Amino acid sequence: MKAKRRVVTSADRTTARSKRTPTVRRQKSAIVSGSPAATRAAPVTPPGSRRAGDGPGPGLGADASAVDLTVDLAPAHGGLRLANPILVASGTFGYGIEYGDVVDVARLGAICCKGTTLKPRIGNVPPRVTETPGGMLNSIGLQNPGVDAVVEKYAPLWQAWRTPVLVNVAGESIADYVEVVRRLDGVPGIAGIELNISCPNVGKGGIQFAIDADAAGAVTAAVRRATDLPLLVKLSPNVADVRPIARAIADAGADALTAVNTLSGIAVAVDRRRPLLGNVFGGVSGPAIKPIALRVVYEVCQVVDIPVVGIGGITSLDDVLDYLAVGAVAVQVGTAVFADPTLPARLVDELALAAAHAGHSSYRSFIGTALPRKPAAGSAKGVEYRP
Amino acid sequence: MRLVAAELVDSREILPGQWLQSFHAPALASGSRAGQFVHVRAGDWSGLILRRPFSFNTVDAATGIITIHFRTVGRGTDWFTRLRAGDTIDMLGPLGRPFEVDSRSRHLLLVAGGLGIAGVRMLADEAVRDGRQVVLLFGAANARDVYPSSLLPDEVEYVVATDDGSLGHHGFVTELVPAYEAWADQAFACGPGPMLRALATLAAGRRGRLGVARLGRKRGAGKVDPPGSPHARRKAFLQVSMEQNMGCAVGACLGCVVMSTGGTPQRVCREGPVFASEEIAWEAGW
Repeated sequence: MKAKRRVVTSADRTTARSKRTPTVRRQKSAIVSGSPAATRAAPVTPPGSRRAGDGPGPGLGADASAVDLTVDLAPAHGGLRLANPILVASGTFGYGIEYGDVVDVARLGAICCKGTTLKPRIGNVPPRVTETPGGMLNSIGLQNPGVDAVVEKYAPLWQAWRTPVLVNVAGESIADYVEVVRRLDGVPGIAGIELNISCPNVGKGGIQFAIDADAAGAVTAAVRRATDLPLLVKLSPNVADVRPIARAIADAGADALTAVNTLSGIAVAVDRRRPLLGNVFGGVSGPAIKPIALRVVYEVCQVVDIPVVGIGGITSLDDVLDYLAVGAVAVQVGTAVFADPTLPARLVDELALAAAHAGHSSYRSFIGTALPRKPAAGSAKGVEYRP
Repeated sequence: MRLVAAELVDSREILPGQWLQSFHAPALASGSRAGQFVHVRAGDWSGLILRRPFSFNTVDAATGIITIHFRTVGRGTDWFTRLRAGDTIDMLGPLGRPFEVDSRSRHLLLVAGGLGIAGVRMLADEAVRDGRQVVLLFGAANARDVYPSSLLPDEVEYVVATDDGSLGHHGFVTELVPAYEAWADQAFACGPGPMLRALATLAAGRRGRLGVARLGRKRGAGKVDPPGSPHARRKAFLQVSMEQNMGCAVGACLGCVVMSTGGTPQRVCREGPVFASEEIAWEAGW
């Protein structure tokens, strides 16, 4: 059960603004970085003030550089402290070096590297990518040099970076996942694991781990036993109800959830005689999927106590604030990096500015504001008046 | 690789549905080489998510003007045609690896099919500047689509083939190549996949047909250059500029791969777009 505190303390983090507005809204306690159990007071965002950066706010004089953007994605174990909540999504940023000096990686909260498997994979037959309305469709097929090559070639580079690198791990069986994670465990430069469970489970007739709560829980538990590294698990939206799966993964010991992976889709070739992608099926990403991803984050945040990282169609600060409002503590930028590689770093600045304008000392005040109020705990006496 | 704002200077429809646009982008105009490309962002008001890759068509370092040549094939390219002079668009470049011309090559054979002219056009400029002789073989469906010779340097010998015989040779451009293969020191091609594949087959059998004896020791003959290195490409007779659907264009997404003879997929945006023809596994079905 969640830790439900009835007493709302006026935390020292909150600024003058929250003192002027005594109304408080309870926040999810687990998302509070550093002090998981502390309950904070947070000012209620006035209705209609969706764009936090608009107009002179009460905290106009506030300094954006003073805003606390840090977040801990693994408050329960060890900790995975990020300088800011803007990550780049797996598969869109390679191994962090491809964009060269166009992108300053030190500005990013964290990097999720390309999906990594036990053995090298050559991936799918091209064409592998195509543009779709408001998004793109990709079917790379997990091309990667294998975990050993990643550890040998990239980990030494990552070690020198201030920005944590999460290795995205994929596999075809639980044993695969465990072996990959074991080889990543203890390697300097690797800050955490992000499990891609949207892979077919070869041992169980090719059903994806991500669409079965038992399989998702089993692979999470197995990986959890194999490593102490912070463990994120990436949910698939291609399910009827994501909540039991999210709960199973959380119960199995994941530190955080990432929601969501791409949606399954296809495109047709120009001559209309065959599907466009070499692999027929691909994953849809980009602004087109944002409402769906938001819905998943909204649902997941209400059933788990671990942090949730939102991902899907983020192209602007408004999208970031939307994800935070439905309970995500951090976001990943994916497809938009292709269009604008400098976007993630810019979002960091804009988020700090938005928090400063709104009079928040921390961006965390944006989190969970659109979640439904939790019903009060039922009274043991059966009858209770609340004036 | 830089992210620059490029200002449109001139936009012309040079052929039906084909456009030539000039941009002022000094940062790209200096230091870019033939075969490289820019990744250009379309306006995102229209839901166009990905950038579009375009080869450098011409580059003028003195004035800072670069040109790109494209055909309107969809909403993205259509959007570009509506840009007005003075509009600024976002370009990422220069990307990819250039054509590698051996310093001893005197005679260059360029082969272009249709819009493939956009890929090799800049190489003609570079070669003429360096005092090499250039023959450009150009193939199109019909006379309507033939690249105007007025847009080429005067020094280039321009030979045209059309599929319907309405201008120049009646047939494919690849049928013109045997007449020049003995003359040429190196060949460079860009165009549709079947054309490149036919050229690769021709290039592979060239030495046997010409019967050139390998007398004595050539410079650098003893050591083996790793495939894909600039040296190895410089030694190859045929270099091809490949095309593939592209995502990031910097090598991060692995979307734009072609299969190599070594069995590892090569990224068109990073290891390419120019490859030596023997690097590509033409029969792999990729």
